[in-house]
Amino acid sequence: METISANFLIKYSPSSIAILDKEMRFAAHSNVWLEEFGGSFDSIIGKSYYEVLPDTPLELKEIHLDCLGGAINKNNGKKIISSNGTIQWLKWKINAWKDHNEEIGGLIIVQEDITEAKRREELLLRAEKVARIGGWEIDMTSNRVFWTQVTKEIHEVPEDFVPDLEGGINFYKKGKSRDEITRLVSQALEDGTPWDTELILVTAKNNELWVRAKGETEIVNGKCVRIYGTFQDIDKQKKIELKFAEAKERLEVATKGANIGIWEYDIETNALVWDDNMYALYGIQKSDFNGEYEAWQAGLLPADKARGDKEIELAISGEKEFNTMFRVVWPNGEIRHIRAIAVSQFNNEGKVVKLIGTNWDITELKTTQLQLLRNRIALKETFQNSAVGLAMVDLDGTFKEVNQSLCDTLGYTESEFYSMSFVDITHPEDLAKDLVLLQKIIDRKQDTYQTEKRYYHKNKSIVYSVLTVTAGKNLNGELSYFNAQIINISNRKAIEKELIRAVAIAKDQNESLLNFAHIVSHNLRSHSSNMTMISGFLDKEENADEQKALLAMLRDAANGLMDTVTHLNEVVHVKLGTPEIMKSINLFETIKNVEKNLNQLLEEKNAVCHIHLSEDINIQGVQAYLDSIFLNLFTNSIRYSSPERNPVITISAFEEDNSLILLFSDNGLGINLDRHRKKIFGMYKTFHKNKDAKGIGLYMTKNQLEAMDGKISVESTEGSGTTFKLIFKLTA
Amino acid sequence: MERVKTTCIIDDDPIYIYGTKRIIEELDFCDKLIEYHNGQDAIDGMAQMVKEGKDIPSMIFLDLNMPVMNGWDFLEEFINIPYNNKEDVTIYIISSSIDPRDLVKVKDYNIVHNYVLKPVSPDELRTMIEQAVIKV
Repeated sequence: METISANFLIKYSPSSIAILDKEMRFAAHSNVWLEEFGGSFDSIIGKSYYEVLPDTPLELKEIHLDCLGGAINKNNGKKIISSNGTIQWLKWKINAWKDHNEEIGGLIIVQEDITEAKRREELLLRAEKVARIGGWEIDMTSNRVFWTQVTKEIHEVPEDFVPDLEGGINFYKKGKSRDEITRLVSQALEDGTPWDTELILVTAKNNELWVRAKGETEIVNGKCVRIYGTFQDIDKQKKIELKFAEAKERLEVATKGANIGIWEYDIETNALVWDDNMYALYGIQKSDFNGEYEAWQAGLLPADKARGDKEIELAISGEKEFNTMFRVVWPNGEIRHIRAIAVSQFNNEGKVVKLIGTNWDITELKTTQLQLLRNRIALKETFQNSAVGLAMVDLDGTFKEVNQSLCDTLGYTESEFYSMSFVDITHPEDLAKDLVLLQKIIDRKQDTYQTEKRYYHKNKSIVYSVLTVTAGKNLNGELSYFNAQIINISNRKAIEKELIRAVAIAKDQNESLLNFAHIVSHNLRSHSSNMTMISGFLDKEENADEQKALLAMLRDAANGLMDTVTHLNEVVHVKLGTPEIMKSINLFETIKNVEKNLNQLLEEKNAVCHIHLSEDINIQGVQAYLDSIFLNLFTNSIRYSSPERNPVITISAFEEDNSLILLFSDNGLGINLDRHRKKIFGMYKTFHKNKDAKGIGLYMTKNQLEAMDGKISVESTEGSGTTFKLIFKLTA
Repeated sequence: MERVKTTCIIDDDPIYIYGTKRIIEELDFCDKLIEYHNGQDAIDGMAQMVKEGKDIPSMIFLDLNMPVMNGWDFLEEFINIPYNNKEDVTIYIISSSIDPRDLVKVKDYNIVHNYVLKPVSPDELRTMIEQAVIKV
């Protein structure tokens, strides 16, 4: 009876239990045993243990034997490697049973396969170790603290260290960390609030490290009975995190200061993330931005939308990095220029999944650039179109830049200028002065100078100019080039010259007039004073012969006076009356006529005339004057012929420009021109004792010629002869 | 009135010479009267006198406007003649010219005592001679 109920009990036992006899044959077992260890056997009663479990290792067999000897063997969990290599974790309790004779009848084995659980436990432990997560537990009722291996490692305490609550808290760094944990623990104890915090621990070896401490409470009946949680060594991550935070802050400061906005576009989700600066760039509030690509698009100036999209597309397709500029419109209508660049982030397949980029406002820059460009264009236009010649000249004198006016003024092309120095085209007489003034600028004694100088036009003519030179400085204020302004004053100069000439002529004429006046007055005075004198004598004279003589002298004086007055008339007439009566006169005829009239005189003196003159020359003149001129010349030649030879008169003529040059030569006495050159054409000047000479002939001739726009000059050698050179105006 | 040894008239106007000669003869203050009709003749004449060791005229009436060599040219040449009685020579320029330039030019020549304008009346002439003689 006992046995059956015992067997019954064993059969339905909830644990794996087996009863074996001394030969290790199954006498009884639980159903559970059969399930767990029975393998494929339906019944194992009477079978040997080792038959049912053939893989039982030797170790276990030895334990069996040991227990059959009376020993008790239990194990909470041991890794058994069976003979076929399988790993098994077993928990057992084995001891012998005694029969009613108190003799060992066999073994009772209570066994449990805890492989699964053990495996999980092992993995867990390993995970803990790897993640450096240590567990801890405080039993509030017994005040006992339990730390796992990893927890101890984190705290750098030996394996056999026994922790307690206070000690545990003291591991936290004094200050913020310790205060925090104390507060959290107190809180937890009070109302069961769990915690999850990151604090600094100071290990037993005095190393500081960041840990993540998590704690939870177990409350029973409103009282906290247990606190448990984890420690995780997050030192490395934390330090990285902190560094990252630092960098981020720096970045924020930098971008804020520089007004750079940072954005991130996730292509797949179409999500667009902006940092705070971005909103400012687009002139909108954070709340107005919905974080999508379209929101960005909406901010673009319509004209730039298409291009913006295209650029994004190219960046996404990986064709072209996003690096561009576009305009945005603010809600208030303001237009800003934005510069944008981005880097692409690729996934494993090389496809672009994210764009991370920046925007910054370059409106000021753009405006300034435009203004600069406009200024430059305006300046260039001004330079080019100035009516005054402008040039920029290098320090070595080469032309760097010239405008059209200068090219027109001096006749060179732009490119010709650029291969020249100003020295090449400056009149040599003006160069020294120019260089001296230039040196003053180089020596910084003055910034500018102005001077008159002559340039050579390309066609070799002279261009009178006023030159103004100013120092051209670079950004450092150093002399870097010369600015030159060249004003063509040739016209002015020509007028100046004309004026000087006119003044000279006027002066000349004034002087000749003065002379004339004096001479005439002198002569008039002479004759009239003589008349007075003679009259005076006549009054007193009684002698008849004497009276006769005096009367004769009076008559001479009167005649002389008359002559003078006549000459006066003639000269005035010539000077004033000519222009209306100028006609085209045949020169040959005129000369021939005069020759004929003087025929008698010429014959008397045995004079010979050679006339080499074309018969068809016509000149502009007054017939009366021409007659008078040639009459005078012929008469002079005869009068002043040399007694040693027969007079020979040679007349020749040739054309030059618009004028006719006539040469009237004789072989007479000649004139000492060294002495008399100035006086020869003067009024009432004679050089010979010839009584007929009144000294007015050549004076009249000169006046008459000049009245006809002609000229006269003379060359002579005393003793050989004289040649008069007359210049007439040809009839056009 | 003191006597002057020789007077010289250098002038090209015969009527004037006649008149002047007549006045001088009336005044009768000099022993000899020489006349030249232009500057050149005068220079040649005086040069000849110097060569012969004679004194040159102590009073000279010089006209300015003469042919061949006028009064100014004469003066230029005259001062180069090494004549013996230089200090005693008085030169009067007697001219019809009222040209201010001529009047000024007289000052350049120290040996010219005065500039007198034609016509010269007998009284003026007398005054001139008296002054000259006093100077002497």
